[in-house]
Order: sequence, then C-alpha cells, then structure tokens
Amino acid sequence: MLALPDLQKAFAGYLSGGDGVDLARIVRGDSISAAARLRIHRHHVQQSLATALAATFPTVHTLVGEAFFGAMAGSFVVKDLPTQPVLAEYGAAFPDFVDGYAPARDLPYLPDMARLDWALNVAFHSPDGPRLAAADLDSIAPDRLLGLALDLTPGSALVPSAFPIDRIWQASQPGANGSQVDLAAAGASLLVGRRSDDAAFVALDAAEAAFVTAILGRATLEAAAQAAFAVEPAFDLSTSFGRLLALQAFAALR
Amino acid sequence: MNTTRFAIASALAAALVLPATAQAQPNIEKCYGVAKAGKNDCQTAKSSCAGTSKTDNQADAWISVPKGTCDKIVGGKLTAS
Repeated sequence: MLALPDLQKAFAGYLSGGDGVDLARIVRGDSISAAARLRIHRHHVQQSLATALAATFPTVHTLVGEAFFGAMAGSFVVKDLPTQPVLAEYGAAFPDFVDGYAPARDLPYLPDMARLDWALNVAFHSPDGPRLAAADLDSIAPDRLLGLALDLTPGSALVPSAFPIDRIWQASQPGANGSQVDLAAAGASLLVGRRSDDAAFVALDAAEAAFVTAILGRATLEAAAQAAFAVEPAFDLSTSFGRLLALQAFAALR
Repeated sequence: MNTTRFAIASALAAALVLPATAQAQPNIEKCYGVAKAGKNDCQTAKSSCAGTSKTDNQADAWISVPKGTCDKIVGGKLTAS
C-alpha cells in the first residue's frame, strides 16, 4: 500500500503518460482489469482537458479540425497538466507548444492564431473596470500629459504577427464566406481587449503598435509617442491617440 | 519645453477635443465565440462518456493532416520570420 502523497504522485505520473505499474498492483482488477480501469481515468482526464483547450482555442480548433486538434491537445495535456482548478485559465503554454509541434509546421501562422485565441480568452475573463474618457484628461496641463503613464484596460494585449492573422481569424469564423486568405499579405498587429460583454480586437499599423507596446511597458505618453515616431516619422499622434480613447482602450486614471 | 515635446503635447491635447465623428473607427472584431464558451471546473457528462474508452489510441501516428478551414489559407511564406 502506498502512503497517500505517494499514491497521488503515482497517479499524477500515470496521467502524464507513466506506465502505472505501481498503481496497477493496488487497483482492483475484478470484472475489468486494473490496467483498463486506470486507462479510463487517464482518457477521461485527457479528453476533458482537450475539450477545455478546444473551447479556449476555437480558431485553432476550426483551422485544423477536430481530429488534428484532439491529437495536438492530447500531446500537450500529458506534458502540461493544469496547476490550478479553473479550466479557463488552462493553456497559457499551449501557443508555444503549437509552435514546436512538428505535425503543424506546414501552418506557420498557427502559433500566432493560438496567441490570439489566448489573448481573447484572457481579455474575456478579465474584470471590466472603469475606462478613461477624453474628458478625464481635459483638465491636465500639457506638460503633465507628456509625463503621464496610462494603463490599458485589464487583460489587454498586443498580438503581433508576420501573418495576416486578422483575416485568418475572420475566415475561420462560423458563417465566414469561402474566400481564401493569401498568406503573403502583410502581417498584422492586433490590440486585444475586454469590452462590456465580450472580448474584441482591432488592427493597428506599425507605428500605433509601437505606441501601444510602449504604453504596455508603462512608458509615458511622450516616450510612447517617440517610439511611434521612430517607426514612422509621419505618425499621426492626434488621430491614433483619439482613436484609442474612442475605443476606450485605457483604464481610468488611478 | 523644446519643439518636439511641444508638438507631442499639442497633438495629445488635440486628440482630446476631436469630435466623435472625426475619430476614424477601425473595424472592431467582436468575439462572440469567447462569450459562449462558459467553461467551468466540472466537465460535462458528455466528456465523461467520451473518456471511458479503455484502449489507447495513438492519434499522432495517423493524424498528420489538418482537416479544417486551414485549406482557405493559401500561398505566401512557409516560415514565420
């Protein structure tokens, strides 16, 4: 008989693909064999987690289909069992896993689609706090505005890609028309954020992406503007900043 | 305040008084799929049934071809760089 911690460790090891020899000795084997009983548990865990991953990564799931996704998710699950109880928080490492998953290497955009799905999942499960409005900044003197470090809304993320991931996402939506996406089209940087009742993304140009990246790094508005000008000297700061405000991309001042 | 700082401050201030109609709204992609997921910590009986297979299936060995909407993504680069 194993002590409880050893039993739990042995069971976890078996779920992760271990041979379960030590467990088979202490599991009842009448009517169906101990090995078969254990396999039922393993399949249940793996398939439940693969189903959870399919819900968290719907675009990847749609792109590769049920069978391929199931195989890919199954390979991930045995390497990375959840460490917390909330399944919506499971799969942070999945995009990197997809990146290294040899059978998917003919779909070079797939890791970025997984990153987009994950960012949308994080944004959706983030709290919906108060937003910054243009009027909140009206009374701030211009030189203080320069030194302001704004926060994006909780759960916001920038997903940059060398591929047109916004168009690939659109083509993968239920009810999308049958038109094709040319992978040679320009890449996209998508700003993902929480909205009142869902998550959403907008495409940013290169200078806007540099601006937002700096802001995510807690840069001041002046430093963020400089970062954008470094990418594109003709960057239209007023229009872009106004648009981000209109999108309610920033959290209220603390 | 030097010229560049003044230009940035002016541009930021100008953004605050843009009328809403002048703010070019980009296409916002709303993600209904995320909202309907509604996952919780207990998976459903359906998964439980699906999991009761007693045999291991070596999926990787025979599933090497994706069969989803990826057939709509054509051409272009073969590697991310």
